[in-house]
Amino acid sequence: MSDHMPGLPGPAPDPTTEGYWLAAGRGELVVQVCRACGTHRHPPTEACYVCNSLDWTWDPHDGRGTVYTYTWTDRPVVPALAHLGVYNVSVVELEGTTGVVRILSRVTGVDRDELVVGLPVEVHFDPAGDDVALPVFRPRVSD
Amino acid sequence: MLEVRNQAAIVGIGAVPFGRRGEFAEQGLVRLAIEAITAACDDAGIRPKDVDGYSSYYSSVEPAELMTAFGAERLRYASQTWGGGGASMCGAFQNAAMAVATDQADFVVVHKVATMEANKRYGQAFGQIGQGVPAVGGPFAFSVPYGLQSPGQMFALAVRRHMHLYGTTSEQMAHVAINAREMARSNPNARFREPITVDDHQASAMVADPLRLFDFCMESDYGCAVVIASAQRARDLRHAPAYIAAASAGAPFRFGNALMSFYNQPDLDFASSGHRVVAEELFRLSGLAITDMDAAMVYDHFTGMVLMALEDFGFCAKGEGGPYAAAGNLGLDGPLPVNTHGGNLAEAYTHGMTHVNEAVRQIRGTAINQIDGATNVLVVGGAGPAPTSGMILTGAR
Repeated sequence: MSDHMPGLPGPAPDPTTEGYWLAAGRGELVVQVCRACGTHRHPPTEACYVCNSLDWTWDPHDGRGTVYTYTWTDRPVVPALAHLGVYNVSVVELEGTTGVVRILSRVTGVDRDELVVGLPVEVHFDPAGDDVALPVFRPRVSD
Repeated sequence: MLEVRNQAAIVGIGAVPFGRRGEFAEQGLVRLAIEAITAACDDAGIRPKDVDGYSSYYSSVEPAELMTAFGAERLRYASQTWGGGGASMCGAFQNAAMAVATDQADFVVVHKVATMEANKRYGQAFGQIGQGVPAVGGPFAFSVPYGLQSPGQMFALAVRRHMHLYGTTSEQMAHVAINAREMARSNPNARFREPITVDDHQASAMVADPLRLFDFCMESDYGCAVVIASAQRARDLRHAPAYIAAASAGAPFRFGNALMSFYNQPDLDFASSGHRVVAEELFRLSGLAITDMDAAMVYDHFTGMVLMALEDFGFCAKGEGGPYAAAGNLGLDGPLPVNTHGGNLAEAYTHGMTHVNEAVRQIRGTAINQIDGATNVLVVGGAGPAPTSGMILTGAR
């Protein structure tokens, strides 16, 4: 269960994804990387889409990126979530990766007119259950 | 190379009267399917027990149930294509065409039925996934915990990117909804028949910014069915055949589970309806071009995705969908009339089946907004995760 968005579930790790979620729980962002060719990919999956190698590991990332696209949810999707009010769901493109890595997330601490495509953001974490957290983003304060 | 082009035809179409969300809940899906298939068989001039093949998409009424219900002497073909909702719908027609063209079935039915109890609304599609559970796994672990839980939000992400890249506006999207209402005015089966203006659209509630209420289709209960037979058989049946010139289901590079849990598509396809490869395939397989089309029935669950489908199929250049629609090109007087029945936005939401029925009516010459001499009609399946789909029907073999 998300601490900041009560009523929304947390992520349930599986053998492929637990490295990502547990790292977030420790306050670290990691991205899956192919050991054979160095291509980053997300969400985590078994094979590299470039070289098809099954050999992969986790690469630490500094959590800097820009907003690729977003939507504001003005009406609750289900009545049980009405208490969440208006919130955004945003796609953040990470900087400095080999190959495109975009993460679906949320940008916190922004008013409606402040959230724009291209906004520089940095990662922080929203605890979402035992040992795991959701990477979320906020506007970058400095370069 | 064996060619399926024009070797199969739609010979019967049927539908039960459209209902509001949840209206047919007590009737149930099997009853709706039986009624719709019976109507389609009546239209074709065959008996339901003559149906020996079923080709489905995203269906829960199985051939096992239907062949028994109708007392079919034998079942020879049964398949269901991959994909969710109506994105892959034309894949069911692709499979049906291949089956009858290769003599693996006499009459194949594609059917789709739905009834929505209050807790199973499309608009809440994966909103239900996270209800009352502490955590969700699989691909949804990367979207549902963030509150991405509905098709409206999914497609809003593509629309926002399209607005950013090409300057598309909400006012331009309004013209898709305006056109749907205009087409539905004379359609007695349509739910929304009152004209709307850009101002009406702009005054409608914001739901999933940038999508407003009038950018959304309705939710309907429905039952629809279509009968497909070989071109040879089709000649002896009641109506002029609507030949399947081509049907395709596919997707471009890395399209994957687009918008639902995957967001790494190249810009060209992220801000698209996902039909670039399907469009190439349809024109290649049919030998026809977009300029040969007399009308287009484009799955219109969300206005913005129609603009992107227009681009994917080459109605206009990439990024020009907004200005193209706003210039009035979707209407009956335009170069390629779109959704002459009123579509999902104004008639009913049927996961694409009514788009097929309307394409057939145009070819038969029996549409309410009939286009003189309509011969080639493009049908476009829904934008959504891979595979998306499309089909070209033709009256000229």
